Amino acid sequence: MTSLSLFAPSGGRLLRSGFLLPAFLIAVVAILVVAPLLRILLTTLTPEGLAAWKAVLFSPLSANLWWRPLFNTMILGFSVGAGCLLIGGFLAWLVVMTDVPGRRYLGLMATLPYMIPSFAAALAWGTLFRNSRLGGSAGFFETSGLAIPDWLAWGLIPTAIVLIAHYYSLAYTIIAAALSSVGADLVEAGQMAGAKRPRIFFGIILPVVTPALIAAASLTFAGAVANFAAPALLGLPVRMQTLSTRLFGMIETGQNERGFVLALLLIAVSALFLWLSDRIVSGRRAFVTVTGKGGRTKRFPLGAWRWPLFTVAVVIGLLTTVMPVLVLAASSLAPQSGALFSNWTLHFWIGEGGGEIAQGQAGIFRNPVLIDALWNTIRLGLVVAFTTMLLGLALAYTIVQRRGSLLATVLSQLAFLPLLVPSIAFAAAYIALFGAPIGPLPSLYGTFALLVIAASAHNLPFAVQSGRSVLGQISADIEESARLTGAGLIRRLFAIIFPLAIRGLFAGAILVFVKMVRDLSLVVLLFTATSPVLSMVAYRYAAEGFMQFANAITLVILVVCLAASLLAHSLQNRVQKWKQP
Amino acid sequence: MNAIATGAADAIKIRSLVKRFGAFTAVKDVNLSVPAGAFLVLVGPSGCGKSTLLRMLAGLEAPSEGEIGFVGQTVSSGVGGVIADAGRRNAGLVFQSYALWPHMTVAGNIAWPLKVAKWPRDKRDRRVREVLSLLGINALSERYPAEISGGQQQRVAIARTIAPEPSILLFDEPLSNLDAKLRIEMRSELMRIHRATGATSVYVTHDQVEAMTMATHVAVLNNGRVEQFGKPIDLLRNPQTTFVATFLGTPPANLLGVRRIDDGLVFGETTLAPAALAADHDEVQLLYRAEDVCVGVTAGAPSLVARFAEAAPIAGRTMVTAMIGELRVTAMADGYFTATPGEQIPLSFIRTPDAVFAATGERIHQ
Repeated sequence: MTSLSLFAPSGGRLLRSGFLLPAFLIAVVAILVVAPLLRILLTTLTPEGLAAWKAVLFSPLSANLWWRPLFNTMILGFSVGAGCLLIGGFLAWLVVMTDVPGRRYLGLMATLPYMIPSFAAALAWGTLFRNSRLGGSAGFFETSGLAIPDWLAWGLIPTAIVLIAHYYSLAYTIIAAALSSVGADLVEAGQMAGAKRPRIFFGIILPVVTPALIAAASLTFAGAVANFAAPALLGLPVRMQTLSTRLFGMIETGQNERGFVLALLLIAVSALFLWLSDRIVSGRRAFVTVTGKGGRTKRFPLGAWRWPLFTVAVVIGLLTTVMPVLVLAASSLAPQSGALFSNWTLHFWIGEGGGEIAQGQAGIFRNPVLIDALWNTIRLGLVVAFTTMLLGLALAYTIVQRRGSLLATVLSQLAFLPLLVPSIAFAAAYIALFGAPIGPLPSLYGTFALLVIAASAHNLPFAVQSGRSVLGQISADIEESARLTGAGLIRRLFAIIFPLAIRGLFAGAILVFVKMVRDLSLVVLLFTATSPVLSMVAYRYAAEGFMQFANAITLVILVVCLAASLLAHSLQNRVQKWKQP
Repeated sequence: MNAIATGAADAIKIRSLVKRFGAFTAVKDVNLSVPAGAFLVLVGPSGCGKSTLLRMLAGLEAPSEGEIGFVGQTVSSGVGGVIADAGRRNAGLVFQSYALWPHMTVAGNIAWPLKVAKWPRDKRDRRVREVLSLLGINALSERYPAEISGGQQQRVAIARTIAPEPSILLFDEPLSNLDAKLRIEMRSELMRIHRATGATSVYVTHDQVEAMTMATHVAVLNNGRVEQFGKPIDLLRNPQTTFVATFLGTPPANLLGVRRIDDGLVFGETTLAPAALAADHDEVQLLYRAEDVCVGVTAGAPSLVARFAEAAPIAGRTMVTAMIGELRVTAMADGYFTATPGEQIPLSFIRTPDAVFAATGERIHQ
């Protein structure tokens, strides 16, 4: 086996003895993933825990604690899954399978909403549709004289719409990838058989992409079920509870055991559906498309429908990308949150405190807490990106090198476990484990370190995935041929392996960074006043009714994410000149 | 069956066919016709337009100009586009990638076109069993395409294509994804199927050996044009252009560019042939088959000195490749012959050239 000992240039001998690294990794994964989940389970098996199980499931309280939130969660999950399948599937079909104008731009636009955090869309919705039922200032429409009914201002329907607007691009990405793997030959073979377009669509194309449809539906379902921001911002004010907001409420009010029980139930619900969909998709019919030529896809002419369908796609894109950003921007400038376009002021950004506006609070760039939060957020993003990629690379290396062994199987299964755990439930597990001192170690609760550890653990599946793809780019041959020239390990490391791996590592790191910067559901439980992060500050402001501040901070988050993505894009092209973007 | 009704009509008739993609002309003024039951091979290097031609025959592309007729009926034309849909021309296409539908079993793949054509169930089942055994793949009927080997997928693709009993079979480089041994096996298999179905076949390949072994008619394509069309043996014996002369035949024939000096045709310093062969041209190319070039000096035959490059034993003789300057020449030696690469060896031209071509590539007839 070639030694791709990336991790200890001087200790290569030890690594090759093949004991230290795997043992270390097993220990790390055990502490990061297994221990918290085990701990949260064990905590609910103590007498207090068992009482909490009883209270949640079999008591007069259980309707409020479990059944109603479960019902809301399932409604959200199914409607979001169905909605994303429809919209994402429609756009994917349009972009991949038809001659719609501007296909590339439509495709790009369809991937953007996933970049915008769901709480941004939720805040934008509130800014537009909020009505006066709860007091406070009304939204744009009601201020402009349009009466907004409650069902459109609060609760399940707006939450579902906001989540669909966020998650449809995930469905789009999955379905579009599957559709482009349906080679033109498969379609033309159907034409040769004399089948008409509907017959080809339902008889060939649809069945071939069914696994992708199921995957898209179950992933968007799981995303909606786990989401905290949207139901918290649009549902909590009218006491609409989902499992994740319920769980948050329990822990926030100190009823930790009940919170843990709800966390376990949430994990069970989400994992059950992911597992079911996996069962349906796998097996003999988990067909890989067998095509040689590949690449070429059949595009059907739309005829008279070209421009109408193009318009529909553009409207969907604009409503879910440009619109929320514009609304947030206008709102952060408007002293009266309902009158989006009048009396614009920079007060919420740079104004000094003490005036009439915003109850005398200073603008966000004059607020030391916020500046603190900005640095904390960037620091968190950077540190987590670094630790995650390092850990992912080490795990991927071990898994790839020991493919087939028990160790590799165990490691990869454990590393992918967090995929089944909604982040807010994962955070709850971390509170269960680190909320109290362990032996001589102090309690980590509320520290920056705990945030880093929890986030790294939660990102493990993604990290291992990208680590594997990075290592996949460096074939054993490439490394061996360098070795035959007599280049030493360190020389090979810097001349061969690093240049080949850097792009993949960088891309992965940037994605982790962006995920962390816009994350709310993981930090919402682990956050404390001593380590504030932007998303949490925005959520606090929104909860207290300072919409302009919340919107302004959300814009800052968007700008940071956008800047990181652009930086990644330009750096990538510079780092590996031999590759076309 | 249609062929009988229309009597003498050609099974496939292509007239002045042109296909343009934007500014690029892929197929230029092609005229071909073959009788029913023929095995037409379209052969040429990649990018010569042969696949485009086949896709127009299948009805997957519309021609820019010209006409395609199947058994006396126009199926596509530059004016009317695709007149008969792909599914309505009673033609079947075997794809290079096989294009098996991955979500259907082998039997399902074969049965689907019959379902589309509304065959009754019992007739359909009988036909599926029939073609499965014709291709020798009965045992695979319940497998999915991903579960069988490349050679087996190939057989399924053929079975699927012949199941609806098309009168015209189209093949798009069907053997190019198979390994060498399997390719030879499938070659005779395809010819057996061609005879068994009685369909007129059009077969696209870049492999001249496939063209020579399988075809009743060959069209050599180059740059979108038919360089020459005819029976394989005629093309081999009487190439009309240098392209055909060098593209067909194993081992490849040699072309030597010569100048007229006095009454001789001279290569370098050596007179190879009498000037009369060149008619009124001053510079011509002489075609010598490998078997007409001998290693060693032969009394009375002109000879040239070449640098030895490589030798390959073939059927008791040796095929020798040597370089004269930058020109690669293939010669034959009796028995087993070898030398050190770079070594000077004499080559003698023991017969008159097989054909003479103008500098521009056309054949000069005496």
